[in-house]
Amino acid sequence: MSEYTIGILILACVNLISVLGLSLLTGFTGQFNFGQAGFMAIGAYTAAILTTRLGAPMAVAIAAAMAMSGLASVLIGYPTLRLKGDYFAIGTLGFAEAIRLVIENFDKLTGGSRGIPRIQTYTTLPVALAAVAVALVVVASYIGSTHGRNCIAIREDEMAAEAIGVDAFRYKQVSFAINAVLAGLSGALLAHYVGFIQPSMFGLVKSTEMIVIVIFGGMQSLTGAVIATFLLTALPEVLRAAMAWRLVLYGVLVVFIMIVRPEGVMGTWELSPRNVKAAFARLRSKARPERAGKAG
Amino acid sequence: MTVLELDAVSKRFGGVVAVDGFSHRLEEGGLYAVIGPNGAGKTTIFNLITGIYQPTSGSIRFRGEDITGLPPFKIAQKGIARTFQNIRLFSHSSVLDNVRTACFRSSSYSILEGLFPTPRRFREERMLREKTLNLLEMVSLADRAEEKARNLPYGYQRRIEIARALAQEPKLLLLDEPAAGMNPDETRQLMDFIEHIHKTFKLTILLIEHHMELVMGLSQHIVVLDFGKTLASGTAEEIQSNPAVIEAYLGSGEEV
Amino acid sequence: MNMVLQQIINGISIGAVYALISVGYSLVYSILKFSNFAHGGVMMLGSYFGLLGLQYLGLPFPLAMALAIVGSGLLAVLNERVAYRPIRNRNSPLLYLLISSLGVSIFFENFTIVTIGPNFRTYPPVLPTDSLMFGGLSVGRLDIIIFVMAAVTLSLLTWLVYGTKIGNAIRATSYNMRVSRLMGINPDMIVALVFFLAGASAGLGGVLFGIKYTVWPQMGILTLKAFIAAVVGGLGSLPGAVVGALLLGTAETFAAAFVSSAFRDLFSFALMILIILVRPAGLFGKITEEKA
Repeated sequence: MSEYTIGILILACVNLISVLGLSLLTGFTGQFNFGQAGFMAIGAYTAAILTTRLGAPMAVAIAAAMAMSGLASVLIGYPTLRLKGDYFAIGTLGFAEAIRLVIENFDKLTGGSRGIPRIQTYTTLPVALAAVAVALVVVASYIGSTHGRNCIAIREDEMAAEAIGVDAFRYKQVSFAINAVLAGLSGALLAHYVGFIQPSMFGLVKSTEMIVIVIFGGMQSLTGAVIATFLLTALPEVLRAAMAWRLVLYGVLVVFIMIVRPEGVMGTWELSPRNVKAAFARLRSKARPERAGKAG
Repeated sequence: MTVLELDAVSKRFGGVVAVDGFSHRLEEGGLYAVIGPNGAGKTTIFNLITGIYQPTSGSIRFRGEDITGLPPFKIAQKGIARTFQNIRLFSHSSVLDNVRTACFRSSSYSILEGLFPTPRRFREERMLREKTLNLLEMVSLADRAEEKARNLPYGYQRRIEIARALAQEPKLLLLDEPAAGMNPDETRQLMDFIEHIHKTFKLTILLIEHHMELVMGLSQHIVVLDFGKTLASGTAEEIQSNPAVIEAYLGSGEEV
Repeated sequence: MNMVLQQIINGISIGAVYALISVGYSLVYSILKFSNFAHGGVMMLGSYFGLLGLQYLGLPFPLAMALAIVGSGLLAVLNERVAYRPIRNRNSPLLYLLISSLGVSIFFENFTIVTIGPNFRTYPPVLPTDSLMFGGLSVGRLDIIIFVMAAVTLSLLTWLVYGTKIGNAIRATSYNMRVSRLMGINPDMIVALVFFLAGASAGLGGVLFGIKYTVWPQMGILTLKAFIAAVVGGLGSLPGAVVGALLLGTAETFAAAFVSSAFRDLFSFALMILIILVRPAGLFGKITEEKA
């Protein structure tokens, strides 16, 4: 594999960790987070400050990044998730902007708008793959658990969920915390892959990019989230020149998907052994029309 | 034993009094009905019992415990289950998941355990699935377990909602117009079904219904509401011969 | 003391511009119950419409204003027609409307970057920028003009919503769309009207902001202030949006003058979090109970 391909793969893994969290929160729990980049920024800066200023080992830096980002989610989630209405969406949007301001203005610690240079590049492909594997197992098992079903119930009908004993506020907070911890991890890995960080890397465009990936593939399917992440990470790298047009297209596609197929391109389909078998069975029956006729 | 006790419960929305000093007791194992014209405050009473609304005044006790002002999920956990007038299912989830989500009494693993594929968790999930399928069997929905709830016909959706409520293993079941939108045939089936679950699960049931045949045929005790106040209360025969009720409701309605 | 008065005047002037943006957002929220993230894009394009009229079509200022107001109003109507109505008609979750509006917002912003360019632009000097002295207090004439224009528009809007038959229909629809239909109101017409009013007032806000500061494709982020103002005042409440915006403008100006200008936006965010902790429904909102 060329270095270029490896680079794209690492970047896709790093993005995917953040997307998995967002998929759980927005896709499966139905809470719209417009400030994912803010949590990635907290992770990136926490880890980078620890490794560059204090010479902390990567593992410690990652743990701290995840903890800080998770803590921030509690601070934002507690006041906003209790309320019905768009308070959470507005709160996360405001939070991401606020975080960027804090980073830009605490330049003693963060290097201000010029950022932190010369970060050790600890994030190699095996590290990125291992992190993705853990994130995938955690999110997939959570969604498949009784707690994950409670999250889906909240997304589908919060009042009905409460009426069957689901503490909606608590589950929303948990999804938000898992999302933030993963975003923190993603940010920490990103900082130690790129080698430098700047506040402009964590602006509204980054948040938008994350949410767009979730909308394209992962509103109700983790498989979709994985595919969308790899496609949408590789695409802009290949078509660098058309950056602005790409975003124009994203905008149109987001509207189109909401109108035509809001559950995302994959729907609720997941790549599981059972579903694969079923898909093959369908294919076989299509190949033999006399059987397909019976089924129809 | 008294299961539910409403004491002078009132609810105001701005200047409108939806429920005005409503008091009633439900004894264990009874099958009760609330009837009354549209806007009489029937559904409001359900929303007050289940904590969706907070009463403006008065108190609600469930099995001796004051539950006034508790959030809906806590009241559900204490053992009150309900259905909604305009069916509220998790419409993109499967029938199985709709019912399984309500089985909170049979799942004990923590959120932390939910994050990892532990053996204990798989064991519990297997039991949960079996239990749900058994319940679906009982309401004749087992063969449609994997279908999305919203793709099923209306009558089935009502049954899913009741099955979901039963999965909570409640002590008290509130049914909000279970026969709405059903033809006479379906209504009769539903009557049998309600009687069946009333007996097998040893439930206390309170239902709101417009359908007089169903109410009179099933209920041991009927409360007639009018403008948020109790107009009359008693057995089916007593209600049918109560002049105030005939005047206000039975006499003028075509729904009889 | 003069310093304080000065800041209050500055704050109210910028607050009035926020109010123009916030009122439209609240109006839409009160009817459709979702945050229209494309509102900022409409405001931004309204500002560009004004610039187009003045600089490229050579229109006189009042006509350029009219172009911006009508243009952004119609744009908002079109936006609703294309991107929201199909979703509304399906009775989909509100989340889908929110996401669709995000898509529109991404589209507006980046389409502007691609076609007009990413740089900041300034309005030609159409309004006087000198200062008037009121006994030792210097007040920018521009600030006064902006305030008067915003105040007149807001009064008109308030009269329209609270003092006319159409306003009654709007409020009935916001209370309950289904019931309003039974009363013989066509909800789609009302929604279109509300989007026109929201877009038009945002367009005016965009022009005034552009005159005072600059115009650039990402200026839609200003709607974050409008969102915050609306939350402070009470989501979905019109008077709340206005008072919230004036309050926010003043508070921000004070924070910038007496604490640090860098933390101005941080301050407004903190104010919002504080308000929803202490008084979740905002200053003017009622805590409404969801209907079951």
